Amino acid sequence: MSREGDEPDARGARVRLRFEGQELEARTDASLVQAWLDAGLPLVENVGCMGQGVCGACRVLVRREGEHAPGESVQTALACETRCEHGMEVTFVDPISARRPRPYDLRALGDSWTAFDRIPEIFPEAPHCRHCGGCDRACPKGIEVERMVGLASVGRAFDAAPLFDECVMCNLCIAACPEHIDPAHLGQLVRRLVASLALRPADLMARLREIEAGTQTVDVEAEIPEEAP
Amino acid sequence: MSAGVPREVALDAWRARRPASPTTAPLDRDALVRRFHPDHDANAMVTLRVGSAAGARCPAELAALLQAGSPVRDVDIAGAPHRETDVLVIGGGGAGCVAALEAARAGARVLVASKLRLGDGNTVMAEGGIQAAVGEDDSLQRHFEDTVRAGRFAADRVLAAALVSDGPAAIRWLIGEGMSFDVEPGTHRMGGRLRRARVGGASAARLLSLRDQTGLEMMRVLREAVRLQPGVEALDGHPALELLTDARGACAGAVLFDRERRRLALVHAGATIVATGGAGRLHLRGFPTSNHYGATADGLALAYRLGAALRELDSFQYHPTGLAAPAGLAGLLVSEAARAAGARLVNGCGERFVDELAPRDVVAAAILRELEEGRGVATRDGALGVFLDTPSLEAETPGVLRDRLVTLCHLADRAGVDPAREPLLVRPTLHYQNGGVAIDPTGRTSVSRLFACGEVAGGIHGRNRLMGNALLELVAFGRRAGVAAAHEARAPRSGPIGVAHLSDWQRAMIAAGLPLDACSPQLFPSYGNFDLAAALTEGVA
Repeated sequence: MSREGDEPDARGARVRLRFEGQELEARTDASLVQAWLDAGLPLVENVGCMGQGVCGACRVLVRREGEHAPGESVQTALACETRCEHGMEVTFVDPISARRPRPYDLRALGDSWTAFDRIPEIFPEAPHCRHCGGCDRACPKGIEVERMVGLASVGRAFDAAPLFDECVMCNLCIAACPEHIDPAHLGQLVRRLVASLALRPADLMARLREIEAGTQTVDVEAEIPEEAP
Repeated sequence: MSAGVPREVALDAWRARRPASPTTAPLDRDALVRRFHPDHDANAMVTLRVGSAAGARCPAELAALLQAGSPVRDVDIAGAPHRETDVLVIGGGGAGCVAALEAARAGARVLVASKLRLGDGNTVMAEGGIQAAVGEDDSLQRHFEDTVRAGRFAADRVLAAALVSDGPAAIRWLIGEGMSFDVEPGTHRMGGRLRRARVGGASAARLLSLRDQTGLEMMRVLREAVRLQPGVEALDGHPALELLTDARGACAGAVLFDRERRRLALVHAGATIVATGGAGRLHLRGFPTSNHYGATADGLALAYRLGAALRELDSFQYHPTGLAAPAGLAGLLVSEAARAAGARLVNGCGERFVDELAPRDVVAAAILRELEEGRGVATRDGALGVFLDTPSLEAETPGVLRDRLVTLCHLADRAGVDPAREPLLVRPTLHYQNGGVAIDPTGRTSVSRLFACGEVAGGIHGRNRLMGNALLELVAFGRRAGVAAAHEARAPRSGPIGVAHLSDWQRAMIAAGLPLDACSPQLFPSYGNFDLAAALTEGVA
């Protein structure tokens, strides 16, 4: 059997892959989610934004053809962003939850002298990172997860937060961490701290004062011109 | 639709004429929209025959769900397990999360039931931003007038006023939850100015954002806040199949489908908030959609069977530039930011045909005219669209793609196109449900103890929504509905609770000569290969 299947056309070659144990035929321009639906299989979970790559619902484990040798690792990916390849073996990864909720009340972390000290209290495993790189390899967005964990655990929230700009909360890093650090939720904590403690736009605050003083109101009955001024 | 110009021929025409000159053809905007906008396609509309909106026009695909039987019968719920809560929120997208947070903080026990997972919905996909009148050159009144005008004067003015008046406080609330916004370059996060952009139909720069990932940032924060909020329990994989009523006909909770155990689960609630989002996955008139997989109008169907008033059911927003190819990515959005940055739309003959920054309904109608009249670009697989001329934009403003249109480049890469060398093929995509369940400023529907917020609610946007007002709506009305529902839930209830309203509904359906065998809500797109009836039978057996 040829590697690429039959003749390629505008939609790419026709290839065969195994998805959740089922043999599927698909085009190389189709995403894994598309191939699943095109095969007539029911899709009622592990699906969301269907290709934008922002919801993190369609986590899969992917083994590519020829990667069966020891040491050739299985990769994690988002099925809506991954195109079909010949010989792929794919399985969905069900939603991943952290072992513990790690509760905190963001509004109680309002003192910026002490707020960052609370990070290792809420995430006590974070300083124990053994730098195995598992989270970095698991992240389908290529985020430097391990670096974020290191920065966050020493209170460098402003350096840590932007590293998680692209996080889609797929939680694959949580599953990958042998120390149970919960990087996905740690990333959210530092991001939320940075915004809630230190974003105070003057224009917004001025408008809020005007509204409170009653100098900004809406006249519901106003005559509105057809064309914008 | 006509065949169009083969892509290779169209590419030659584009190269020969690039950069294309502005269109000189006279344009009667109203006539264009009336002739080509899908809302005005009389063949696609039917008149509703039963329910509170009987006599109103509605797309056939939606009418089939509104005028349908229930998958739930009296006998089915008799033995089903049930639980109690103060407030039940149906739908875990942006609006549902905001409502749940505020209801819990007002002292209610809250259950949020999601069809998929908490956070799955259209909110996370929003690229553009959120409108709030914070600029010195702007005012609440200007935002109000822009909103009403953009909605073609069909909006409920009291709701529009509530929306814009909540804007600045909504931004403060979001920051308090930990959401970031871009600040004006050169100013500081403390005491600086928010970065503002002006969008089509707005008289001032008012769109606040975090790059082109505002919805992603908002949903990350809201989901985390709900997860940690005491008093809120999230129930994933539990779509609602029917609402429950008490002896007086007030809403008293819902019948959920526990997907994993394949059985019904009843929730008795003092107040119920429908926050199920939009309807893009109904693919009205066969259109592709930019919407989330779960956008199947479930809440509209449920509220309608209970007698809730609906409005502007025939009005939908078609975003002008969805990807037209490849098939697997069709419908995904190419943000308006590309046109705002100067990218032009070019037909199969290499010509521009509309002012690219006209209102969305006008641009969408103009593209559909090109496709219908044979000037579209046709691929070998049968996809039809027009070109979005990103190469000329890049040539005129080197670096613009990489610096400002990150999401576009990411999308183009997956479509196998280098946007600096080749134009993208785009066409209108079903984007937003303008109308929905009629509400008052507290989110109350016409049915007692039933609330609605987010895209499922109607009246705020009239017949056309301003970019950035959807994210504002879900915060403003999510908060209002959450607080009001928490108070409502304390009022004494009048049992017994069940699905007594269904017998009236069935009588009305039979009287109108409508079949009862078709059921709604649909829950998943038609290509989701899901059979609810079979799943229910299997579970019972």
